[in-house]
Amino acid sequence: MGIITLEKSNNLFWLGRYTERVHTTLKFYLKGTDKMIDSDPGYYAVYCQKVGITNIYGSRENFVRTYPYDETDPNSIISNLNRAYDNAIVMRDYIGTETMAYIQLAIDDIKHAEKSGSPLADLMLVIDHLLAFWGCVNDIIDDEQIRNIIKLGKGIERLDLYLSLDKSEFEIKKEFRRMKQFLSKSHMHYDSDTLFTIEKMLNEEGFNYLNVRSLVRGLIQQ
Amino acid sequence: MDGLIKHSKTINKLLSRYGVKFGIYKNGEFKEQLFPFDPIPRIIDYNEFSNLEKGLIQRVQVLNCFLADVYGKKQIIKDGVIPEEFIYSAKGFLPPCDGVFPQKGIYSHISGIDLVQAKDNNWYVLEDNLRVPSGASYPMIARELQRRSAPETFMEHRIIDNRNYADLLKEVMDYVNTGGINVILSPGRYNAAFFEHSYLAEKTGAVLTTGNDIVCENDKVFYIDYDGNKQRIGAVYRRISDEFLDPMTFNEESLIGIPHLFEAYKKGNVALLNAPGNGVADDKGIYYFVPKMIRYYLGEDSILQNAPTYLPYYKKDMKYVLDNFDNLVIKDVAEAGGYGVIFGSSLSKDKKADFIDLLKNEPRRFIAQEVIDFYDLDILDEKGERVPRKADLRAFVLTDGKTKVWPSGLTRFSRNPDSFIVNSSQGGGFKDTWVLSR
Repeated sequence: MGIITLEKSNNLFWLGRYTERVHTTLKFYLKGTDKMIDSDPGYYAVYCQKVGITNIYGSRENFVRTYPYDETDPNSIISNLNRAYDNAIVMRDYIGTETMAYIQLAIDDIKHAEKSGSPLADLMLVIDHLLAFWGCVNDIIDDEQIRNIIKLGKGIERLDLYLSLDKSEFEIKKEFRRMKQFLSKSHMHYDSDTLFTIEKMLNEEGFNYLNVRSLVRGLIQQ
Repeated sequence: MDGLIKHSKTINKLLSRYGVKFGIYKNGEFKEQLFPFDPIPRIIDYNEFSNLEKGLIQRVQVLNCFLADVYGKKQIIKDGVIPEEFIYSAKGFLPPCDGVFPQKGIYSHISGIDLVQAKDNNWYVLEDNLRVPSGASYPMIARELQRRSAPETFMEHRIIDNRNYADLLKEVMDYVNTGGINVILSPGRYNAAFFEHSYLAEKTGAVLTTGNDIVCENDKVFYIDYDGNKQRIGAVYRRISDEFLDPMTFNEESLIGIPHLFEAYKKGNVALLNAPGNGVADDKGIYYFVPKMIRYYLGEDSILQNAPTYLPYYKKDMKYVLDNFDNLVIKDVAEAGGYGVIFGSSLSKDKKADFIDLLKNEPRRFIAQEVIDFYDLDILDEKGERVPRKADLRAFVLTDGKTKVWPSGLTRFSRNPDSFIVNSSQGGGFKDTWVLSR
């Protein structure tokens, strides 16, 4: 394809971010619902705080029943998936119909899970199809820059979420290294001073997650 | 055929998987919905298609001649074949296009001709679409998915492969390209035909754009990349209407157009497919004159028939329309998409009287046509049973150095048993169109 405009790079970047947001929050939701079964019924409030969304749910039951599926809630998992779709549909000519199909299938899965007798088990299909989407990104998209912009979006989002979810320092550093390799390959504009500062902070033991997260959020210049 | 019927659900599921949808606005809200697909194809045998092909080529060639004439010497008006008020009052006649000649003299590169087959086996042209006809992508992708779902059906029948539409389209774009990349200009994600825009971009290798990344400088058109580098554009397959194409020349309130694009086109620095101003030739009032154009420009009889049409503009025709009002279908020439179509028999006494007043006041605004008793095609209803429904065929004719008919087409059908309206925006579905190779 060869020509990537500002608007298209933005779509690709956010396609990566939203697919990752759905992937990680869904995995966290599945773990959280397990906790809420018996050991910590009020865990949904912690979930909301960690993911950075307003707790509008009021009860464990309401959270479990609506958070993944409510299209009127901008923070729901399906709303984020719809945003991934919105960014994918305008990039069909770059990513291909075959790749795009996996976003559509993930949307179908989540809608099916809402009506299913075993929604938690069925939601796992969403993760399967997102993994297939990323497989297609690697396998089908020929243009290296397009692949790298999507992966950069995915990497930034994962790092941001992992910092919010208090993942281990080891995990944070690993995700930072992975994200960093796509920075230069994507040819997107980023703040090299900010990158330097993040690297320096991560090398210090007991670094402050909130400070690193703020810097990660300002790394890409859009 | 049984294989296709058996796998109907699978095919529709695959169409959903690949996002074969169209957008529709209901109560001011945009919704995407699947374009319902029926697995029973329309089948056109080789000889029948050959005749149809000749007629379509003749028609599109003559419409291109007409456009060159009407924006050039205007001989057809001078010779009194078409009254000049029909040209100048046509909404699609664009004065800025007067005296402007497109690349290689082609006005209608992609033409969508809507036909029906009557019970006497004759094909009748219902309308010509020479601006931004849509729909080819649907049978193209449906064929791909049908072959995957029921390969045995395609082993048993000799069906011409229709999956070359994108190649034909690319050839047309390349033929008129003035040097640079091909782009498909779409109004954007919330346009009814966005699936088609994005799918054709993918399949032709053209760049899909909403125009935000395009600038005109020194009467040339450029695509701007992420770093601000400019790449020359040689051909724009535009899927936005004439009036929104360039706010400097047409509707100044257009936010989706590209300022100064028309100047670059006028200077021959970029090709626009289809040419702006084509609306004068697919005006429903001008339609009446197409057989006369064929005689005038080619000295031939029209191979394809128009539906019998009356122009209330002519006193004799007005009398006929008033005398036979209940048997006719009246069309507002300014409307499209199945809107503005009134069946005389469907109006109450009061509404009929009001409508006749309007007709008398604005005779140029309407045409009247005999209701053609056309073939119904079977579709599968929700219970999986075959039921007959009204259906038309949009044939696609592409023009580069030659005029070619795509050996397929979009067959649209009404899902409502009492309706003649087949448009997707009004709940219609689509079928594949098979052309047999022998």
